[in-house]
Amino acid sequence: MAETSAAPLIAIMDLHVDFPGANESKEVLKGVSLTVQPGEILGLVGESGAGKTTLARSILGVPPTSGRIAAGKVIFEDRNILDLPEPELRKLRGSRLSIVVPNPRAELNPTMTVGKQIAAMARIHLGVDRAEATRLALAILRDVHIPDPRRRMNAYPHELSGGMAQRVVIAMALICDPAFIISDDATSGLDVTVQAQILSLLGGLAADHGSAMLFITRDIGIAAHFCDRVAVMYSGEIMELASRENLFLRPAHPYTLMLLAAFSHSPKLRDAWSVPETGVRQTQKEGCSYSSRCPIAQPVCSERRPPFVEIRPGHFARCHFPVSHE
Amino acid sequence: MNAILTVENLFKQFPIAGSKQVVQAINDVSFSIQPGETLGLVGESGSGKTTVGRCIIGLLEPSAGTIHFHGKLISDRRGSRRGLAGKIQFVFQEPAESLDPRMKIGQSISEPLLPMKLDRTTRERKTLEAIRLVRLDPDLLDDYPSELSAGQQQRVGIARAMVTQPELVVLDEPTSALDPTARAEIIDLLQRIQAERNTAYLFISHDLSTVRFISHRVAVMYLGMIVEQGDAADVFNRPHHPYASGLLSSVLLPHPHLKIESSVSLKGEIPSPINLPKGCFLASRCPFVIDRCRTEMPPMSIVGDGHFVYCFRHEDVAASVPASDTFNVFMREAERILGRRTSTGLPIQIHSN
Repeated sequence: MAETSAAPLIAIMDLHVDFPGANESKEVLKGVSLTVQPGEILGLVGESGAGKTTLARSILGVPPTSGRIAAGKVIFEDRNILDLPEPELRKLRGSRLSIVVPNPRAELNPTMTVGKQIAAMARIHLGVDRAEATRLALAILRDVHIPDPRRRMNAYPHELSGGMAQRVVIAMALICDPAFIISDDATSGLDVTVQAQILSLLGGLAADHGSAMLFITRDIGIAAHFCDRVAVMYSGEIMELASRENLFLRPAHPYTLMLLAAFSHSPKLRDAWSVPETGVRQTQKEGCSYSSRCPIAQPVCSERRPPFVEIRPGHFARCHFPVSHE
Repeated sequence: MNAILTVENLFKQFPIAGSKQVVQAINDVSFSIQPGETLGLVGESGSGKTTVGRCIIGLLEPSAGTIHFHGKLISDRRGSRRGLAGKIQFVFQEPAESLDPRMKIGQSISEPLLPMKLDRTTRERKTLEAIRLVRLDPDLLDDYPSELSAGQQQRVGIARAMVTQPELVVLDEPTSALDPTARAEIIDLLQRIQAERNTAYLFISHDLSTVRFISHRVAVMYLGMIVEQGDAADVFNRPHHPYASGLLSSVLLPHPHLKIESSVSLKGEIPSPINLPKGCFLASRCPFVIDRCRTEMPPMSIVGDGHFVYCFRHEDVAASVPASDTFNVFMREAERILGRRTSTGLPIQIHSN
């Protein structure tokens, strides 16, 4: 679908991922299509279990264990990433495509100094010698505002605070100057002041290097201030996609309204946009996957899957009855 | 006013193994909590919030200072907590980790009743009351924690705290591990229980927007000190301490046009609590710093009714940005945006009062 006219940096097209089970397989991504423009920060929000992490990993060709990419394409620099042989893909990951994940300590090798780990990225992907790799590692540690970077180069991960370790992981993701960065909930668990510093760092790097970013978060407050456009995911589908202005000021999908209401601190608004929990999680085979939780669902909603409709320029919603703000 | 809990000049140090140095986790903390009141305790990780909570529930013994519950000293030695019998309870952050995976939900909830020497029928009745209080299906009493969602597990955590009818509950980041919808439900639940039972809460959190809505008063901690304390609205609308102001400005409300203004943008991280600086602990990160801050600890200044701050330049800080009630502006905006009709004209029942 043509969201914007300019050539996208990366185009995810009709991506289907399922997890084969004993009797039937569970479809975790049900045809996700998204594009990201050069220099753009696209936010992806939704609750746990929506498929955000599966999407992030599938874009890089590594769906979570037991997941299987059933259909779809990820077009990056004129090639379908998902068709590339593993050695090619491996070259792309870490150099042109990068991912930053939460829980930085688990990502770092506890027996290797921070400097060596960052420099290793440059040696593997950029093919530079040891001295040059060390120089680049020191430079990137400065870029991510690590105080006293020369000393930190020789530090082991356990000697770093959580915020510092997260910055090291970001430095590793950025050292090869990737064109596309996926941040998978990378700021959750950080203090708000550290989070603010990391966000301005990532935003600045995106602007300076022209890199694009898919910013996955559970915190819609970050999306409202940090992302250019925002996609809302529910049960493996993109339910709404809009500029951050439209998404937060003119939300159209009842699920988006429910999410916003959850942050509003108003029980009235929450009651208006949610249905009482039945306890039974229904798997909606036909129709809209949100219909069993939707307070304004009509009979058609459980019969026919709604199309992804452009309700105003650049603003899409997958709903038979999008909320009107006119 | 008769406070149920009074904390006075509390200190807590942790020795470092193989060294003469100590970690100064709490430095001279004083506050009190009234019946039915929520005190929000905010600050970054490492500020000592959790240590304060643990001293109150008796998991840690303070190095100095006193904690009184209804005028009775409960902090001097282990025995002094006898007779409290569930009057002070607690809820932790990770619901899954704070429940024994091999214990049925019913056993977990009734466990705090065991030291109270009640008969079995009474215990069962109280357990049933508690699970109903948190609006869970009593059928879940025979389930194991792994069969529940995170939100349900946290409800069990709350039921277990409430089963003894406590007067004070220490809530240590009870909603941080939860999805937004589950978080909102837990907050509602806590407020409803408080309204019904007049339970007092010490709500420890780094989620400032939740703290703003659930707390009557807030205390802002930095490096083991309470740097500002007062009514939630006063502190949030017009912070007098540079740290409180900087902390608030990093809150991201889910509205692209609403931002809390501040003249302080906090750089770097909280310094090590091992070698504390001589003067004000914030001096190295503070844009308002003057020479005096580096040599002298600022005294307490009273800036309003029950509103205290420790800063030499609190007047300048307060005057540096206009006072504004951004959180309430946000709530009104949310009502405007979310109180809409659908394209079919189906009415959405939202009435503002």
